[in-house]
Amino acid sequence: MAIRVAVIGNPNVGKTLIFNNLTGGKAHVGNWPGKTVEKKEGKCVHKGVEMKIIDLPGTYSLTANSIDELVARNYIVEEKPDVVIDIVDSSNLERNLYLTLQLLELEANIVIALNKFDIARDLGYEIDVNELSKLLGIPVVPTVATTKEGMEELKDAVLKAAREKRKKRKIEVSYGKKFDELILKIQRAIENDEELSKKYPTRWLAIKVLEADEEVLKIIDRSPCKHEIVNQLLEMKG
Amino acid sequence: MSKKIREILGEDAEVAFAERRYAVISEILPKVLKGAKPLTRSDMLDKALLNKYLGIPIFLALWWALFRFTFDVSAPFSDLIDMFFSWLGETTSGVIANEQIASFLSDGIFGGLGGVLVFLPPIFFLFLGLAILEDSGYLARAAFVADRIMYKLGLHGKSFIPMLIGFGCNIPGIMATRTIDREEDRILTILVNPLMSCSARLPVYILVSRAVLGGYYTAGVYSMYILGIALAVLMALLFRRVIPYFKGKPSPFILELPMYAKPTLRNTLIHMWERGVLFLKKAGTIIFLGIIVVWLLSSYPWNAVHVEDKFLLENSYLAMFGKTIEPIFRPLGFNWMGAVALFFGFIAKEIVVGTFATLFGLQAEGPEEVIPALKSSGIFTPLTGLAFMAFTLIYLPCIATVGVIYRETNSWKWTLFTVIYELILAYVVAMAIVWIGGLLGYA
Repeated sequence: MAIRVAVIGNPNVGKTLIFNNLTGGKAHVGNWPGKTVEKKEGKCVHKGVEMKIIDLPGTYSLTANSIDELVARNYIVEEKPDVVIDIVDSSNLERNLYLTLQLLELEANIVIALNKFDIARDLGYEIDVNELSKLLGIPVVPTVATTKEGMEELKDAVLKAAREKRKKRKIEVSYGKKFDELILKIQRAIENDEELSKKYPTRWLAIKVLEADEEVLKIIDRSPCKHEIVNQLLEMKG
Repeated sequence: MSKKIREILGEDAEVAFAERRYAVISEILPKVLKGAKPLTRSDMLDKALLNKYLGIPIFLALWWALFRFTFDVSAPFSDLIDMFFSWLGETTSGVIANEQIASFLSDGIFGGLGGVLVFLPPIFFLFLGLAILEDSGYLARAAFVADRIMYKLGLHGKSFIPMLIGFGCNIPGIMATRTIDREEDRILTILVNPLMSCSARLPVYILVSRAVLGGYYTAGVYSMYILGIALAVLMALLFRRVIPYFKGKPSPFILELPMYAKPTLRNTLIHMWERGVLFLKKAGTIIFLGIIVVWLLSSYPWNAVHVEDKFLLENSYLAMFGKTIEPIFRPLGFNWMGAVALFFGFIAKEIVVGTFATLFGLQAEGPEEVIPALKSSGIFTPLTGLAFMAFTLIYLPCIATVGVIYRETNSWKWTLFTVIYELILAYVVAMAIVWIGGLLGYA
């Protein structure tokens, strides 16, 4: 069976170029069901393994505030692609890693493509790729989409990641003692709903509940665990 | 449920969480990023232009430079257009025997339309300056600088671009609010957008301030733009506080700053043309029609207005109508001519100028240069002139803008609300100018 690979990244990081490099420019273009957001799909065969590549909308974060972000995040949460390639602009790590952290919370099986690596170098940046990979607990591949540098390595990394499936991620953002405890309590409450916890990463759901994410609250609203959650929140409030 | 949780948590968690994520990133970065990033020229410029304290003064200074440039460079071109239409008007009234047709062509069409078209050069040069600021990458920085303040005031950062676009024309400005995610933020931005002084009001400012403000005329025009911005911010703040629908904080936004670039002549000219040509189109359609209506109303009943050799504007339909609405404007110091000009300005604000041009042209038996005519007519003192400009800035956006507000909010309630609050605000501000000026001893 083909490996399903989603490509995501901030706007203007070279996502389209990498997608074209991977698929050879042949893509099926359509719309996401019921949305006006463009959906592009392509194929890539690497070392005899077929990969189905899906281009997700360019976004800075994964909130429920815009259609683009919702489309991207729903695909990752609900369709659970085997691997998510997170394209990061090497010359602007700080902003780009914000999306990466959110993908980690979604428990996606991430491979980072450190794109525009040449520009970062020209600007005087020296990025320790191995250290970054170690700290985040995910594979990192430097790429230059314009010259197709690093594409083979990227495909290798994707294949490897798909074989190993998702490992327990290294980094877990701590939101401070008060919130961490609350997150844990809500997570426990959610875990009582087996169906829900099978479908979604529970810690992510808990965080989104606290962020008052409209879409996640709709999901929770339909679950029997909602009363427990409201109780926990009221208790915290005192 | 969602409401309940929002009530319990407020919006603190979302912001706190985002801050924590950035904190984690800033712990990671020093471990993986070796070699400090040297300052590029773009960074150095940003250091100054985006500076917490310098940012706003630099913005205001650049805006001022833009206006000086616009007016100083465009003045000779305007004079040429003025001369051309005067000559055209005189020649026609000389050749055509039928006095009604002659008056229609010379006072109505050439006088009125010419009176509006002399403002083509400043509008084009304003757009040229804006295009240069935009193409160089500065305009995005202006949004960034303003966001810091706007967020504190409760306006969404993304509101700034629609506001800037509003300086050209409120219609695309209002349409540009579609980029704002939250409906409440979007509607709020639409409601205050008409306070951004669009280019249609520029002719009115130039006409009035050159007629009555003398050497302070650029400052007078500039102050209208600043007044517009200040009122927009104040109103947004007020609505956010008072109207329950807008309660809450705006959602944070990320703005990507493009690299600075040298604007290319071609692109800049294209930008200027695309926007400026809209004014020309408007002059050929709605303004043209408006001016014909003004001419008709001010020239008829023909026999009552044209008695022997005299032109008695006082007997025209327009004067009758103007005098009925004059009492409303009397506290502001506007006479019936100012009142009808504002009334027809609702169709398109350029018609305010066209109305004056037609009226003076008629009285002078042939088109006359509008600015000196307005000056010698004594309709406005410097103070009431300023009040008139402020009223023009604030009251009812033009009819096309009202249409777009309805389309974009999809609500008669918000549309009507905008129209009404702006009428009241215009009145209050104009009154305040006259009153405070009076207290300070100006007439």
